[in-house]
Amino acid sequence: MRTLLILLTLSLPTAAPADDNGIVFIDGGDWELPIVREVATGSGRVDDFLLDARQVTNAEFLDFVRAHPEWRRDRAPGIFRDARYLSHWPQADALGESNARPDRPVTRVSWFAARAYCRELGGRLPSMTEWEYASERQRQSVGTSPEDYARELFSWYANPGAGSLRSVAEGEAPGLGIHGLHGLVLEWVEDFQLVLGRGDDIDLLTGSCGDTARFLPEFDEAHYATFLRFQSRSNYQPDTTTSTLGFRCAYDPE
Amino acid sequence: MKKSALTLMAGTMLAAAALAENPHAGHDAHAHHTPMHAEPATHGHSLFHLDAEWLTDRGESFRLDDLAGKPTVITMIYGSCTTACPVLVNDARRIDRAVPEAIRDDLQVVIVSFDPARDTPERMADYAESFEVDAERWHFLHGDPADIRTLAAMLGVRYRDNGDGSFDHSNLITLLDADGRVARRSEGLARPVGPIVEKLVGLRASALADSAAH
Repeated sequence: MRTLLILLTLSLPTAAPADDNGIVFIDGGDWELPIVREVATGSGRVDDFLLDARQVTNAEFLDFVRAHPEWRRDRAPGIFRDARYLSHWPQADALGESNARPDRPVTRVSWFAARAYCRELGGRLPSMTEWEYASERQRQSVGTSPEDYARELFSWYANPGAGSLRSVAEGEAPGLGIHGLHGLVLEWVEDFQLVLGRGDDIDLLTGSCGDTARFLPEFDEAHYATFLRFQSRSNYQPDTTTSTLGFRCAYDPE
Repeated sequence: MKKSALTLMAGTMLAAAALAENPHAGHDAHAHHTPMHAEPATHGHSLFHLDAEWLTDRGESFRLDDLAGKPTVITMIYGSCTTACPVLVNDARRIDRAVPEAIRDDLQVVIVSFDPARDTPERMADYAESFEVDAERWHFLHGDPADIRTLAAMLGVRYRDNGDGSFDHSNLITLLDADGRVARRSEGLARPVGPIVEKLVGLRASALADSAAH
C-alpha cells in the first residue's frame, strides 16, 4: 500500500513548485476547520497567503541566533523558553550530528522564539486555520486517501522518530510543492492556544469518547487522526520546547 | 453548594438529552460568552523582557519596563465589549480604591486592548474618561497585533477574534511586582479584591524592609 502511495506521489505533476526562496503561494478559499469548536459552525474564508515550502532548519536558526544573540540558549530570558530550549545543539552557537545537523528541522524552539524568527524575516507563524488548510490542500493535491493519511499520522504518533529526524527537504516537494507537513515534526502555529472556542469547559487531553466526539465533524479515521494534532497543540505552553516540535513561517501576499 | 450541584446535574442531563439527538449538540449546550480559561503563567520571570512599543490613551509611547520600580495591575479587554470588559476594568478600579493611599500613589494600572483596529488611542481616551480614573497612573494601551498576542501569552490570557467585532477571552487580572514578575492572579469577574490588595501590602512591606536594610 505504501509503495503504491509513493508511486502515486511520484507520478503526479508538481502543482505549484516552490520558487527560489522556497516559499509556496497558497490560494485561499471557503473552508471549515476539521474540528467542531463553534456554537454555529459554517465555512469561513481563508485568505491567500504564502508558506515556507519546508520547515526552518538548524542552520537557518543558527544564523538567526548569531544575528540576535538575545535568542541564544544561554541568554534568552527564561520567560520566553523552557530549560530544554536548543539543548540538542552541542554549543549555544554551534551545530552537530544527528538532529543537530544543519539540514534537520530545528526543534526545541519555543513559540516565542519561532515567532521572533519569522518576524525577523518579515513573516509570521501561520494561523492554525492556515496551517490546517494547507495540510488539507496538500493531501488533496498529493492524492493521499483519508485512510492512508490516518494510518501514517497514527504511525507517526506511535513513533515520532525524534531519535533521528530526516532532512527538511528530500527530493522534489510533492503536491503543492511543500515538504514535510506531515510525518517529520509538528509545527507551531500562531494561535495554538485556541483549540477550543466558546464553551471550552471540556478536558481535551483526556480524550474520552464523549468529549472527543464533540470535536469531530465526521466520524472517520482521518478526522480522528487530525484531532490528535489539535490535542497535541492543546498541551503546549508558549515556552514549551520539544524534540518533535518545529515550525515554518507564513507571509502575507504583497 | 447544593444549588450549584443541582445546576450541574441539570446541565449534565440536558447535555445528555441533547447528545441523544445529535452527537455534536453537547458543544452547543454552552452559552455565548463562556470565558476562555486562562493558561498558567510563568512566575519568577519579568514581563519587562517584552520589547514592544505601545501607545497610551494620551497618545504617548509606552514600554512595559516604564513600569519598573512600581507595582502594576494589568488586564486585557476590548473597548466595544459591553459584558465582561467593563467589569474587568471596574475590578481593577475596585483594587485601586481598596489599597492604602501610600500604596495607591505608586500603583500603576494597565489596560491593554485586544482590538487595535477599533481601539485607537483616541477611542481609548474616551474609554478611560468614562471610568473616571487617575490618568497619571492608569494607562490604556494600543499595540501591534503580534505584541498583543505575545503579552497575552506571557500573562496566560487566551483570546480569539470572532471576526464580528467580538472577542472571546479569559477574564484575568494580574498583579506584577516592581520587577515585572507575576505576583498574583485573579481569574473571573467581580472577584473579591482582598487577595490582590493583601499582596500589594505585602510587596510594600518587603520593599520598605529592603530599603531599610540597605
